[in-house]
Amino acid sequence: MSDEVPIAEATNAVPIARSASPDPVPASDRRRRDAFALTIAVAAWFLPGLGHALLKMWGRALVCFSTVALLVILGAGMRGNIFSRSGEDAFAKLGYLADLGAGSFYFVAQALETNGPDVSHANGDYGTRLLATAGVLNMLAALHAYEVTRARKA
Amino acid sequence: MPTHEFRLNHFHAMVIFALIISVAFGFLSRRSAYQRARYILWSFILFLLIGVGIGWAMYPFSH
Repeated sequence: MSDEVPIAEATNAVPIARSASPDPVPASDRRRRDAFALTIAVAAWFLPGLGHALLKMWGRALVCFSTVALLVILGAGMRGNIFSRSGEDAFAKLGYLADLGAGSFYFVAQALETNGPDVSHANGDYGTRLLATAGVLNMLAALHAYEVTRARKA
Repeated sequence: MPTHEFRLNHFHAMVIFALIISVAFGFLSRRSAYQRARYILWSFILFLLIGVGIGWAMYPFSH
Protein backbone atom coordinates (compact mmCIF):
# COMPACT_ATOMS: atom_id res chain seq x y z
CA MET A 1 0.00 0.00 0.00
CA SER A 2 1.48 3.28 -1.07
CA ASP A 3 1.47 6.51 1.00
CA GLU A 4 0.18 8.55 -1.88
CA VAL A 5 -2.78 10.75 -1.16
CA PRO A 6 -5.57 10.66 -3.73
CA ILE A 7 -5.71 13.81 -5.86
CA ALA A 8 -9.22 14.70 -4.76
CA GLU A 9 -8.20 14.80 -1.12
CA ALA A 10 -4.91 16.60 -1.71
CA THR A 11 -6.36 19.76 -3.20
CA ASN A 12 -7.21 22.68 -0.97
CA ALA A 13 -10.31 23.48 -2.93
CA VAL A 14 -12.94 25.23 -0.85
CA PRO A 15 -16.39 23.77 -1.39
CA ILE A 16 -18.63 26.23 -3.16
CA ALA A 17 -21.51 27.34 -0.96
CA ARG A 18 -24.98 27.43 -2.36
CA SER A 19 -25.72 30.96 -3.51
CA ALA A 20 -27.56 32.68 -0.73
CA SER A 21 -29.79 35.64 -1.60
CA PRO A 22 -28.82 38.81 0.30
CA ASP A 23 -32.45 39.40 1.13
CA PRO A 24 -34.18 36.29 2.45
CA VAL A 25 -37.64 37.83 1.97
CA PRO A 26 -39.53 36.32 -1.00
CA ALA A 27 -39.92 38.54 -4.07
CA SER A 28 -43.69 38.97 -3.66
CA ASP A 29 -43.30 40.05 -0.03
CA ARG A 30 -40.51 42.39 -1.02
CA ARG A 31 -42.73 44.05 -3.62
CA ARG A 32 -45.50 44.45 -1.07
CA ARG A 33 -43.03 45.89 1.45
CA ASP A 34 -41.70 48.34 -1.14
CA ALA A 35 -45.21 49.48 -2.00
CA PHE A 36 -45.99 49.93 1.70
CA ALA A 37 -42.74 51.86 2.16
CA LEU A 38 -43.67 54.16 -0.70
CA THR A 39 -47.12 54.74 0.81
CA ILE A 40 -45.49 55.58 4.14
CA ALA A 41 -43.11 58.01 2.43
CA VAL A 42 -45.96 59.78 0.62
CA ALA A 43 -47.96 59.98 3.87
CA ALA A 44 -44.91 61.34 5.70
CA TRP A 45 -44.41 63.96 3.00
CA PHE A 46 -48.07 64.98 2.90
CA LEU A 47 -48.46 65.44 6.64
CA PRO A 48 -45.21 65.80 8.60
CA GLY A 49 -44.92 63.02 11.17
CA LEU A 50 -47.70 60.88 9.71
CA GLY A 51 -45.24 58.36 8.26
CA HIS A 52 -43.62 57.72 11.61
CA ALA A 53 -47.01 57.70 13.33
CA LEU A 54 -48.17 54.92 10.99
CA LEU A 55 -45.04 53.01 11.99
CA LYS A 56 -45.95 53.63 15.66
CA MET A 57 -42.83 55.72 16.25
CA TRP A 58 -44.68 58.27 18.32
CA GLY A 59 -41.72 60.32 19.55
CA ARG A 60 -40.30 60.80 16.09
CA ALA A 61 -43.75 61.53 14.69
CA LEU A 62 -44.35 64.22 17.29
CA VAL A 63 -40.94 65.80 16.75
CA CYS A 64 -41.26 65.75 12.94
CA PHE A 65 -44.68 67.37 13.12
CA SER A 66 -43.76 69.99 15.69
CA THR A 67 -40.40 70.99 14.18
CA VAL A 68 -41.79 71.38 10.67
CA ALA A 69 -44.83 73.24 12.03
CA LEU A 70 -42.61 75.56 14.09
CA LEU A 71 -40.40 76.32 11.11
CA VAL A 72 -43.41 77.05 8.92
CA ILE A 73 -45.07 79.27 11.53
CA LEU A 74 -41.84 81.18 12.16
CA GLY A 75 -41.00 81.45 8.47
CA ALA A 76 -44.44 82.72 7.55
CA GLY A 77 -44.48 85.00 10.60
CA MET A 78 -41.19 86.51 9.51
CA ARG A 79 -42.76 87.14 6.10
CA GLY A 80 -40.47 84.83 4.21
CA ASN A 81 -40.92 84.25 0.52
CA ILE A 82 -43.08 81.25 -0.38
CA PHE A 83 -42.02 80.29 -3.87
CA SER A 84 -44.68 79.50 -6.41
CA ARG A 85 -44.69 77.19 -9.43
CA SER A 86 -44.15 80.09 -11.79
CA GLY A 87 -40.57 80.70 -10.72
CA GLU A 88 -38.49 82.46 -13.33
CA ASP A 89 -34.94 81.42 -12.50
CA ALA A 90 -33.30 78.25 -11.22
CA PHE A 91 -33.18 79.52 -7.63
CA ALA A 92 -36.90 80.20 -7.61
CA LYS A 93 -37.58 76.72 -9.00
CA LEU A 94 -35.31 75.12 -6.40
CA GLY A 95 -36.95 77.23 -3.71
CA TYR A 96 -40.34 76.00 -4.88
CA LEU A 97 -39.17 72.39 -4.67
CA ALA A 98 -37.80 72.98 -1.17
CA ASP A 99 -41.01 74.72 -0.03
CA LEU A 100 -43.15 71.99 -1.55
CA GLY A 101 -41.25 69.46 0.57
CA ALA A 102 -43.35 70.58 3.54
CA GLY A 103 -46.38 68.86 1.93
CA SER A 104 -49.68 70.21 3.18
CA PHE A 105 -47.82 72.73 5.33
CA TYR A 106 -46.92 74.58 2.14
CA PHE A 107 -50.56 75.66 1.95
CA VAL A 108 -50.63 76.37 5.69
CA ALA A 109 -47.71 78.76 5.17
CA GLN A 110 -49.60 80.47 2.36
CA ALA A 111 -52.68 80.79 4.55
CA LEU A 112 -50.66 82.20 7.46
CA GLU A 113 -48.85 84.79 5.40
CA THR A 114 -51.77 87.06 4.65
CA ASN A 115 -49.61 90.19 4.26
CA GLY A 116 -47.37 88.58 1.66
CA PRO A 117 -43.61 88.24 1.75
CA ASP A 118 -41.26 91.04 2.66
CA VAL A 119 -37.68 90.24 1.81
CA SER A 120 -36.54 93.84 1.86
CA HIS A 121 -35.37 93.20 5.45
CA ALA A 122 -33.11 90.48 6.83
CA ASN A 123 -36.10 89.18 8.80
CA GLY A 124 -37.97 88.21 5.65
CA ASP A 125 -34.85 86.65 4.20
CA TYR A 126 -34.46 84.45 7.29
CA GLY A 127 -38.12 83.54 6.99
CA THR A 128 -37.51 82.34 3.43
CA ARG A 129 -34.70 80.11 4.69
CA LEU A 130 -36.84 78.74 7.52
CA LEU A 131 -39.64 77.84 5.11
CA ALA A 132 -37.20 76.06 2.79
CA THR A 133 -35.65 74.28 5.78
CA ALA A 134 -39.10 73.06 6.85
CA GLY A 135 -39.58 71.48 3.43
CA VAL A 136 -36.15 69.88 3.26
CA LEU A 137 -36.44 68.60 6.84
CA ASN A 138 -39.81 67.04 6.04
CA MET A 139 -38.35 65.34 2.96
CA LEU A 140 -35.54 63.96 5.13
CA ALA A 141 -38.09 62.66 7.64
CA ALA A 142 -40.10 61.06 4.81
CA LEU A 143 -36.94 59.38 3.51
CA HIS A 144 -36.19 58.14 7.02
CA ALA A 145 -39.68 56.66 7.35
CA TYR A 146 -39.24 55.00 3.94
CA GLU A 147 -35.91 53.48 4.95
CA VAL A 148 -37.30 52.26 8.28
CA THR A 149 -40.17 50.53 6.48
CA ARG A 150 -37.72 48.84 4.14
CA ALA A 151 -35.80 47.74 7.27
CA ARG A 152 -32.66 49.52 6.23
CA LYS A 153 -32.62 51.81 9.24
CA ALA A 154 -33.54 51.50 12.89
CA MET B 1 -56.70 84.55 9.78
CA PRO B 2 -54.71 87.10 11.80
CA THR B 3 -50.99 87.01 11.18
CA HIS B 4 -48.47 87.39 13.95
CA GLU B 5 -45.34 88.97 12.66
CA PHE B 6 -42.12 87.86 14.27
CA ARG B 7 -39.21 90.24 14.47
CA LEU B 8 -36.05 88.36 15.35
CA ASN B 9 -32.51 89.61 15.28
CA HIS B 10 -29.73 87.62 13.63
CA PHE B 11 -28.62 85.85 16.78
CA HIS B 12 -32.11 84.85 17.89
CA ALA B 13 -32.92 83.50 14.44
CA MET B 14 -29.72 81.44 14.48
CA VAL B 15 -30.35 80.06 17.97
CA ILE B 16 -33.94 79.06 17.18
CA PHE B 17 -32.91 77.50 13.87
CA ALA B 18 -30.06 75.56 15.54
CA LEU B 19 -32.32 74.32 18.32
CA ILE B 20 -35.12 73.12 16.04
CA ILE B 21 -32.80 71.38 13.60
CA SER B 22 -30.73 69.79 16.38
CA VAL B 23 -33.83 68.33 18.01
CA ALA B 24 -35.11 66.96 14.69
CA PHE B 25 -31.74 65.45 13.77
CA GLY B 26 -31.29 63.98 17.24
CA PHE B 27 -34.66 62.24 17.19
CA LEU B 28 -34.25 60.97 13.63
CA SER B 29 -30.74 59.64 13.96
CA ARG B 30 -30.56 58.22 17.50
CA ARG B 31 -32.75 55.78 19.42
CA SER B 32 -32.02 56.01 23.13
CA ALA B 33 -32.88 59.07 25.20
CA TYR B 34 -29.30 59.50 26.41
CA GLN B 35 -27.85 59.30 22.90
CA ARG B 36 -30.44 61.73 21.64
CA ALA B 37 -29.71 64.23 24.38
CA ARG B 38 -25.97 64.00 23.70
CA TYR B 39 -26.47 64.39 19.96
CA ILE B 40 -28.86 67.34 20.35
CA LEU B 41 -26.50 69.15 22.71
CA TRP B 42 -23.43 68.61 20.54
CA SER B 43 -25.23 69.50 17.35
CA PHE B 44 -26.68 72.66 18.92
CA ILE B 45 -23.29 73.80 20.26
CA LEU B 46 -21.57 73.10 16.93
CA PHE B 47 -24.28 74.95 14.99
CA LEU B 48 -23.74 78.01 17.18
CA LEU B 49 -19.94 77.83 17.20
CA ILE B 50 -19.70 77.37 13.44
CA GLY B 51 -22.30 80.10 12.84
CA VAL B 52 -20.45 82.61 15.02
CA GLY B 53 -17.14 81.47 13.49
CA ILE B 54 -18.36 82.07 9.96
CA GLY B 55 -19.71 85.45 11.10
CA TRP B 56 -16.30 86.46 12.41
CA ALA B 57 -14.57 85.13 9.29
CA MET B 58 -16.82 87.35 7.16
CA TYR B 59 -16.32 90.39 9.39
CA PRO B 60 -13.25 91.85 7.58
CA PHE B 61 -15.11 91.80 4.24
CA SER B 62 -17.96 93.91 5.59
CA HIS B 63 -15.71 96.94 6.17
